[in-house]
Amino acid sequence: MNVIRRKINNLNSINIKMAWRNIWRNKLRSSVVIMAVTVGLFGGLASTGIMKGMVMDMVQNALENQTSHIQIHNKKFPANNDVVFLIDSTRKIIKEIVADPGVKAVSQRTKTFGMASTAATGVGVMINGVEPEAEKKVTKIYDKITEGSYFDSGRKNRVVISEKLAKKLNVHLKSKIVVTFQDYDGNLTGASFKVEGIYKTQNTMFDGQNLFVRKAELDQLLDLPQGTAHEIAVLLEDYNETSPAVEKMQQQFPEYLVEGWYDIDPYLRLTSSLTDFMLFIFMGVIMLALGFAIVNTMLMVILERTKELGMIMAIGMNRYKVFKMIMYETTMLAIVGGALGILVSVVFTWYYGKEGIDISMVAKGFASLGYSSVMHPVLELSDYMEVIAMVMLTGIVASIFPTVRALKMKPAEAIRE
Amino acid sequence: MKKVIETRNLHKIYTETEVEVRAVNGIDLSFEEGEFAAIVGPSGCGKTTLLNLLGGLDSPTSGSVIIDGTDISKFSSRKMIDFRLNNIGFVFQAYNLIPVLTARENAEFIMHLQNKTKAERKARIDELFRAIGIEGKEDVRPGRLSGGQQQRVAVARALASKPRFILADEPTANLDSKATGELLDIMRRLNEEENATFVFATHDQRVIERAKRVVYLEDGKVIKDEIKN
Repeated sequence: MNVIRRKINNLNSINIKMAWRNIWRNKLRSSVVIMAVTVGLFGGLASTGIMKGMVMDMVQNALENQTSHIQIHNKKFPANNDVVFLIDSTRKIIKEIVADPGVKAVSQRTKTFGMASTAATGVGVMINGVEPEAEKKVTKIYDKITEGSYFDSGRKNRVVISEKLAKKLNVHLKSKIVVTFQDYDGNLTGASFKVEGIYKTQNTMFDGQNLFVRKAELDQLLDLPQGTAHEIAVLLEDYNETSPAVEKMQQQFPEYLVEGWYDIDPYLRLTSSLTDFMLFIFMGVIMLALGFAIVNTMLMVILERTKELGMIMAIGMNRYKVFKMIMYETTMLAIVGGALGILVSVVFTWYYGKEGIDISMVAKGFASLGYSSVMHPVLELSDYMEVIAMVMLTGIVASIFPTVRALKMKPAEAIRE
Repeated sequence: MKKVIETRNLHKIYTETEVEVRAVNGIDLSFEEGEFAAIVGPSGCGKTTLLNLLGGLDSPTSGSVIIDGTDISKFSSRKMIDFRLNNIGFVFQAYNLIPVLTARENAEFIMHLQNKTKAERKARIDELFRAIGIEGKEDVRPGRLSGGQQQRVAVARALASKPRFILADEPTANLDSKATGELLDIMRRLNEEENATFVFATHDQRVIERAKRVVYLEDGKVIKDEIKN
């Protein structure tokens, strides 16, 4: 504080000097306002950080487990997931995609709805036919295996299911599951699969609906033509490059539908953009409330300094300079509180962003929505910049009303107060 | 001697209360460059109102205030503020220094408003502080100065911008005899050395004794205008 005081004292601008010193004329009052701004900003930023962290976790999980960054489908496939709507010559397409330096990995999948049954019960599921080695590079289901392995045995007719499905179907490792579905010609077909691995992601909804088998085996059962797939999943080097990469690939493969993760799962995009909007609204409401507190304080200040203001207007300070003087003081009040609030938020976000906040006690409901049970608050530089701009704006706007009151004074009368 | 201030049939009538108050009631008066004049009279005679009209802090009901040939009563408020900044120095009864600024910063405050450079400010304030005799107290805030010292800083502030004239409203009212004597000595010296025009509104006998000219007011009218030899 002493360093700041010394630096401000050495400044050439009398207005800044005066504003800074005026703040400390009534230490208690200014401290209360500064604390209010600090706590308000910290509260807003911390809650937004937690919210944003949860959403980013959810998006990350979704991208890692299934969606990846980009997916390519037959244009008719997404409407009803009918097995006949295929992508042809997948090897050629994958080769072209991989040639792009922005692409990290590519996998192809066969997908169909079907029924997974045991002696105990039957459950409707999405059967994902994957090429394990390629899929490992794109999604991280292999990393979520809690029992067994992700097709490591090399044996035929193996299935990887979630803990949730295992519980529903009352199966364990090496148990058999009968999977039935319609083939390419619409005939009912199926096969028996032995459970090789059990996984668990943070999204219980996903877990309850998805099981994985080898693509080659599923293709055979579906009687699909050679070299086809329902889905090509692309993982990019940089997640932020999704949009231009989608555009490029769409031009490359105009006969197919190329979509980014935000189009594949609009809920992810909605939640993600909603969080940014929430920051704006949340902080806006907080700043509005703090703005009123600052206005109130500054009105008291103006009332107390009637004589002083009368004198400076009498000796020749014009309206613009009076506004500037009051604005500096108001903004400085907001900035000091804002800086402290942001500092505390940075420390909070840094610490808990690393360590995480465990909410497993109440996380069961969250998991069904795809949220993690450990929250990692996240705030980006742009969020802080947005808040800094809001603090400055609040300071400037909050100074208007007190300035108007000050300018209404008649210097001759004010001096006599 | 050149006329600096002139009033023509100046009136100021207050009608805010039920009773109409004619604070200034048809005053024709002029002050020349380098004058050291006192406007005196009992409380409520219109001294401060006249001073406010001369300084452009208030506007007349009728009549005009002419400074260097220009009728300032017709100025817009914006032009009036600029005019005050560059032409008029004010000294107030209660010193009215800014408590968060040091003596030097207070004195040079008006030069900041005039956008003077740091070097210009330093040269002028050094010169004035030597003249008012408060060297060594430059970095002290008003709260730690005596009343006399604060009023001396206020005089330095009024003179810092090299105004056409200085209006002082009861500048000695809060000072003891010693401080009053010292302050008046300083003002007389600055009046002579800088040819600064001083117009006081006062009922302090000590000021009246030192003034070169005394204008007596009663009920808003000049009843006597005495020029001392």
